[in-house]
Amino acid sequence: MASDRLLHRFSFTERLVHWVVGVTFVLLLATGLAFAHPSLFFLTSLLGGGPAARVLHPWVGAVFSVALLAMIGIWIRDMFLDTADRRWLKALPAYVTRDRDNVPPAGKYNAGQKLFFWSQLAFGVLFLGSGILLWFPSGWGASTLQWMRVIHYAVTLGGGVALVVHVYLGTLAYPGTARSMIDGKVTERWARHHHPAWKPEESPRT
Amino acid sequence: MADSLTIRRVSASPDAFIPIDALRSGGPSYAKLVDIGACIGCKGCEVACKEWNDLGIEPTTNFGSYQSHRDLSPKTWLLMRFNEVEIDGNLNWLIKKDACLHCEEPGCLFACPAPGAIVQYTNGIVDFNQESCIGCQYCVTGCPFDIPRFDVHTRKVSKCNMCVDRVEAGLEPACVKTCPTNAISWGSKSDMLALADQKVERLNARGYENASVYNPAGVGGTHMMYVVPHGDRLEDYSLPSDPTASPAPMTALGFLKRTGAWLMGFSVLGALVHFIRYGPERVDDEEHDGE
Repeated sequence: MASDRLLHRFSFTERLVHWVVGVTFVLLLATGLAFAHPSLFFLTSLLGGGPAARVLHPWVGAVFSVALLAMIGIWIRDMFLDTADRRWLKALPAYVTRDRDNVPPAGKYNAGQKLFFWSQLAFGVLFLGSGILLWFPSGWGASTLQWMRVIHYAVTLGGGVALVVHVYLGTLAYPGTARSMIDGKVTERWARHHHPAWKPEESPRT
Repeated sequence: MADSLTIRRVSASPDAFIPIDALRSGGPSYAKLVDIGACIGCKGCEVACKEWNDLGIEPTTNFGSYQSHRDLSPKTWLLMRFNEVEIDGNLNWLIKKDACLHCEEPGCLFACPAPGAIVQYTNGIVDFNQESCIGCQYCVTGCPFDIPRFDVHTRKVSKCNMCVDRVEAGLEPACVKTCPTNAISWGSKSDMLALADQKVERLNARGYENASVYNPAGVGGTHMMYVVPHGDRLEDYSLPSDPTASPAPMTALGFLKRTGAWLMGFSVLGALVHFIRYGPERVDDEEHDGE
């Protein structure tokens, strides 16, 4: 019977890496949006004002990139989509409308989480590639740098929307989820409900 | 002649793309006209620029050219470029006074993310305000003429400011004042356009049939214009033949920003609407779970 028994979902390493990625991303998003939208320019104060934010944004990006790389290394094995995931994705409307009976049982990660992971990987590569050119802009030519700004901003939008969905689902929508990234634990009842096909004895990864 | 500085455009502000036209009637629009054919290559203007703007000396080396320095720098806002080009079997010095052209539609200002770091006055001068500059160098990528230069020590960008402090006091820019052959003229934009046409006519009469005025429409015209003797050889003068203030990527970026702000807002709104429609999905709540 489902119970309040606690299951270990994420190790300290996983949580640490997650929060380094999370905190750096929020700082990057805030200062990045400040650079893109004059009405949000005040957000540069999060990193000490305009000039300081311009200096620190790439360095925070470097920390983000390293942490993201570590996160990818830890989780990539669990993130490949299989046929069950494809069935889950077909049932996405049922998932969104809370029609639980028509959602196929998910393993440790459901297909949505896996796609979120892969979007992070793609965004990370695009952020880093375009960001390095914008960090060291001399010699690339104006047109290339302008396209890098387009890429960097487009990925910001993708990452920003993904963050909103991620935070919403992890906090407001599914109570009991957020603690998995705080003390690393979830209740057995939570696991049975959200990830019925998860075998907790295989977790955590590190 | 003294002209108070009325602001026309401010970077990273709602007015950046829509000029404050109502204020334009306030004062004259100035222009500098460089008659390349009348230039004797003395570089007096370079020295005057350094002196007036207190830019200091930058040591240079002989690199096989009459040119003083290889490139513009944060301390060299004006550089006479001496391009050596063979035309009809004769060596020609195609001299270009390389400095900010003060575009009517300034790509640097449009690209700048720091509110107030770049301003355009109604008199046409585009000025960098280093106090507000954050050192991102987006203006460098926005400039179709490769003019702004970044100082790695101060992390600020600078360029020719058309001696804005002199102009405000009713004086001409230092380079104009010092030019011994009157190759650089100063006056209202319309007067300078008329003068340019006269100079082109004179060049035509002397056999320079391709002589032209460089006042490119892609940037809305400029407030430093050139009379180019070999108007069919703009690239040889290091003058872009078709500069634009709104290249494709910047247009794309502008579109993304306008839609992107809505996209972000709607994602938050969407999550809130989902929440009030479906609420939290509690599983650890005994009563709700019915166990």
